[in-house]
Amino acid sequence: MSEGLLTTTVGSFPKPEYLTRARSQFSLGKISREELAALERQAIAEVIRLQEEVGLDILVHGEMERGDMVAYFAELLSESMAIGGLVRSYGNRYYRKPIIIGKLHWQGPMAVEMWRYAQGLTDKPVKGMLTGPYTMVDWSFDEYYDSRREAVLDMARVIHQEAVELEKAGARYIQVDEPAASTRPEEMELVAQGLAVVTEGLKAKTITHMCYGDFASVFDQIVRLPIDQLDIETANSGYDLLELFRRHRFDKEVALGVLDVHSHRVETLEEIKEGIRRGLEVLPPQRLYIDPDCGLKTRTWDEAAAKLRVMVQAVREVRRELGIED
Amino acid sequence: MLTTVVGSYPKIPNRPRPARLRAAIARFDRGEIGEDELRRVEDEVTIEVIQEQVEAGIDIVSDGQIRWEDDQTYFARRIGGFTIDGLIRYFDTNTYYRQPVVTGAVQWREPIAVNDYRFAAAHSSRPVKTLVTGPYTMAALSANEHYGSFGELVLALARELRQEVLALEKAGVPLIQVSEPAILKRKEDFPLFRQALEQMMEGVAVEAHLYTWFGDIEGLFPQILDLPFSTIGLDFVMGPANYEIISRAPFAKKLGLGIVDARNTRLETVEQIVERIRRVSDVVPLDGIYVNPSSRLEYLPREVAEAKLKRMVEGVRRAQEVLG
Repeated sequence: MSEGLLTTTVGSFPKPEYLTRARSQFSLGKISREELAALERQAIAEVIRLQEEVGLDILVHGEMERGDMVAYFAELLSESMAIGGLVRSYGNRYYRKPIIIGKLHWQGPMAVEMWRYAQGLTDKPVKGMLTGPYTMVDWSFDEYYDSRREAVLDMARVIHQEAVELEKAGARYIQVDEPAASTRPEEMELVAQGLAVVTEGLKAKTITHMCYGDFASVFDQIVRLPIDQLDIETANSGYDLLELFRRHRFDKEVALGVLDVHSHRVETLEEIKEGIRRGLEVLPPQRLYIDPDCGLKTRTWDEAAAKLRVMVQAVREVRRELGIED
Repeated sequence: MLTTVVGSYPKIPNRPRPARLRAAIARFDRGEIGEDELRRVEDEVTIEVIQEQVEAGIDIVSDGQIRWEDDQTYFARRIGGFTIDGLIRYFDTNTYYRQPVVTGAVQWREPIAVNDYRFAAAHSSRPVKTLVTGPYTMAALSANEHYGSFGELVLALARELRQEVLALEKAGVPLIQVSEPAILKRKEDFPLFRQALEQMMEGVAVEAHLYTWFGDIEGLFPQILDLPFSTIGLDFVMGPANYEIISRAPFAKKLGLGIVDARNTRLETVEQIVERIRRVSDVVPLDGIYVNPSSRLEYLPREVAEAKLKRMVEGVRRAQEVLG
């Protein structure tokens, strides 16, 4: 791998049409669990092939087996979580919001099988992908715990066990996403406590992804988060978060979002190079990773591929300018 | 003691009941049905959710805001000067609304909620309250690309929404709820907030209630009691400090007591409801209390919302026996 400006993605990839169809057939009882799993594997193989062809350094399996990042784990934690009724998220979109109904505990591996399958298809490292305890709790109803803190810390023990399993299976990168952290910056201390439980004793490189938020007032807590790499959404907000890194000492790695995942438009080479250069103003290339702002699942396959190709091209050109070998 | 709601009843039920509105909107979006057919389904669902509230025993119902995509765009799409932009998170919930953008002078053109009120009133055996999103919250949740300052926008919206309030009054609505959750996030704006609401309600005779949610009124009490509303609605679930805050000065208004959690499925017990009413009964006489959920009900699955309203009514009846 190159010595700087490593490229990666945040986690999700668009589901191919045949998989979306199969998922709805499965939910109607028309195909079996095994038939669905075979198609999930087929889609994972396509995601791995795309990333290799594009030339990314650190891969993901694309979350083809997950509908949404909270419900996937909630369904597997069946002794302490249930899937509730439909709640509207916006417009005409509804989702089944999970409910914590008992004391949270790990019941068995949840993310290992698909990670192992994906890693078996490539020589490049594949990240193990987990949803963080704060987000798991915040995006669920809670009928069991008396405080959010108790729920988050118990959930953190569950996610920690899963991270240990991923590490045992050979994962060198473990990402624990906390997109909900940005909705309530005043609870960053609780986010940090949860992540501390999750990452305790892990040797793998740990990463957390957060959505854009008002982080200025809690940046001193973000600086101390018990993770190795912070993955942030920056392209769609004009890279304004980078100002915080200019003002505060930051020793961790940063994965810098340079692709706006909510836009159909493919970024130009120059735009992305400019974003990377802005990142380089505050962090050395060895600690700066380059990726999209967020998961790519809302884009089409072709849009995602086109955006990633330009991103990799931009990184190669900047590496050349800096004299870093590909 | 009367029971009411703070609006936005869940739009679709769960299986085996059919999600008719969701299906109708999807078909409308695909061009398979026309606007008349969509409106007909909205009417049917509105009648259904009024009926559910009545059956739960709610004294003052709402039309459930079935036709509203969210509290902001229902008005912004019908007041001149707005365009509607991309999705943005509603406070700290995991739900989103389309952000209104003020690109020109805001202007009320014609009654917005009057026909909806008339329809609901014709199909309800109980009084129907009408909701108006307040000028401060409308402004705070919009992007301002036209007015020189946020304050100018708030006051302009107060002036235009006053036309809506007057139209509702003329149509004979018995009760208007002005929803202002955003003031709890920027309490230093209270002088502007007061000025806007005083202008909006000037010369208005219809009974009007001011509702807030997602926090407490620390820093706004007791001056919030000066505002031109007969009732102040507070969220005692996300703002538990409200219990203590309202005891600091005589509560010279009626109280909207938001004690049933509209954001969590855990069902309150009758005893908890009685206890929460008892906690405020030293400060506000029972006949000065409206008991309601802590906020809009749409954060819950339909069946849970229904169960919570029933439990709330049960709790209020018990409280009347125990405390009355």
